Amino acid sequence: MSAALELKGVVKTYGSRRALDGLDLAVPRGTIFGLVGSNGAGKTTALAVTVGLLRRDAGSVSLFGEGPFDPLRHAGRVTLLPQDSRLPLHARAEDLLWFYGRLQGLGEGALRESIDEVLEWVHLNDRRRSPVRTLSHGMMRRLTIAQAFLGRPELVLLDEPMSGLDPREASRIRAILKRRHDAQTVVISSHNLHELETLCDGAAFIEAGRLVRQDSMDTLTRRSRRVTFFLEPAGQPLPMEELTKALPDATWEQALDGAELTVKFFDETARAAEVNARVLEVLLRHGIGVLEIRRGSALESEYFSATDSHASSVTPLPPAGSATP
Amino acid sequence: MNPTLRNTWTVTLHELTDSIRSRRAIVLLILYALNAVVATLIFVKVLHEMENQFEKAVGVAQAEKAGGTTTAMWKNRNFRELISHLVGNKETAEKLLETPPLALFFGWLSFFYTPLLVMLMSASRISEEVWSGSVRFMMFRTSRLSWCVGKYAGQALQLLVALLLSGLAAWITGWCRMAFFDPGANAAAIAVFSLKAWIYGIAFLGLAMGVSQTIASPNVATAVGFVVMILFSVVSMLAEWVSRQPWQEILNALDLLVPGGHKMDLWLPDAMHAGVATVFLLALGAAYMLAGYVRFSRRNL
Repeated sequence: MSAALELKGVVKTYGSRRALDGLDLAVPRGTIFGLVGSNGAGKTTALAVTVGLLRRDAGSVSLFGEGPFDPLRHAGRVTLLPQDSRLPLHARAEDLLWFYGRLQGLGEGALRESIDEVLEWVHLNDRRRSPVRTLSHGMMRRLTIAQAFLGRPELVLLDEPMSGLDPREASRIRAILKRRHDAQTVVISSHNLHELETLCDGAAFIEAGRLVRQDSMDTLTRRSRRVTFFLEPAGQPLPMEELTKALPDATWEQALDGAELTVKFFDETARAAEVNARVLEVLLRHGIGVLEIRRGSALESEYFSATDSHASSVTPLPPAGSATP
Repeated sequence: MNPTLRNTWTVTLHELTDSIRSRRAIVLLILYALNAVVATLIFVKVLHEMENQFEKAVGVAQAEKAGGTTTAMWKNRNFRELISHLVGNKETAEKLLETPPLALFFGWLSFFYTPLLVMLMSASRISEEVWSGSVRFMMFRTSRLSWCVGKYAGQALQLLVALLLSGLAAWITGWCRMAFFDPGANAAAIAVFSLKAWIYGIAFLGLAMGVSQTIASPNVATAVGFVVMILFSVVSMLAEWVSRQPWQEILNALDLLVPGGHKMDLWLPDAMHAGVATVFLLALGAAYMLAGYVRFSRRNL
């Protein structure tokens, strides 16, 4: 099946600056996909180019394998939550959604149903008749999220959707995104990497307008190949011989402060739960407290590592039998 | 319905309701109506003064209300012959003399202020949506052309309502303040001039929307709209004044490309001149708008 969104060698320049410098990206259908990158990396530009708000200078964009965005063909199927755009302040929330829905070609019944649904999602049902100017910043943000899901589009592009939301609303939106319609593809550009890690099926690292790395979240964070134990007290000697015996094929890393022990296992068939059980048993038997166990590594550290902007703070442990650091 | 037409109509309706919600339309209607009322009151006062002076000069009793002497003079055979001579075309002069003085004044007034108010109210309509970014919520839902044409049509409908309302305001003022006021003839003539002013205003509306599509800042768009409008007026004035060749021919050709060049034809009562002027003015409005669209269709939003 063709990708929901595919960018090939897309170039976009602003004067002499290249915002996108041959960006390649492929977002599989039916996934939640994260775009990660520093400020000015090109994430917002990539989303705007996708829906034709910005004209690309070179390269190709294809939506659902049907070619670039065409309002006649893709209206209502592709939506965007733009980053820094303001809704018309005098319009009422419901009227605005009605107008947008009509432009998408939704009939009256379907549109009414969809408006009720998205306003319920973002907790704005009681403010549906309120002019936008009377809504708080967070409420306006929720309304912009609501418009992006109007009419159940096949591809939803969200640029920093959680910025400005209070923790409760952000959590609610995350839950809604996870429960989304199966046929829906959602692309989220965000600086909140923890959020992307918990939410997304895959992600792409973009820097200086280029793709640095793209993969599934499992592969990016090595969830199926790595378990980290957070120890208490930090820095006490570890029973490496026993650990090695418990998992002969694994390699071990301990953070410089001794607070983290990471197990890397290369056997594809090994299950994280099994690794966890074996290591935990040894550690607890030796009176080493385990505060937290994390599967895989943080997306943040993988991003730093992939983009070479953050030095790794871990050192490999010597083989079993040697002194621990 | 074809999606492009459907979306154009949706944007047109939204433009109307949006203007009402934002009180923009209310301001527009008040401006037009107030302008008509104040100008009509001034016209009636000046007319009354002139009539009183005339009545004093010929030694007849001075009327309490304006319009009596003018109406009598308007019907006088010698005066009509004088006007025919001045106009140079008896049929045209007769048609003009069939028009009540208040309606003629309203026609002149609405042709004067409509371009100004159009530029004031409409030159920022697209640029302010680009400026705020609200355009980005629409451009993946409809084509840029549908949106621009819908905005244009919505503004044109607002302008029509505003002109008809200002005509009504002038008619009511005249009815209250003038003697020998023929309600039927005045209403019909004012309605015709309102429609003609609307057609004339459509050309300027196209100019305003064209400018609005090319400039992101609403204030700059309004300023540029006024500058272009003034330049257009200069072209029309020069075309009338300059008689030296080849400048006269060049200016006459340029005059065809600006609304002022078709204003007098639209004024004329015969259907041929007014019809041709209507076609030209509507075409000019569309051309200005589409010239702006050429830029808008390619610009980053």
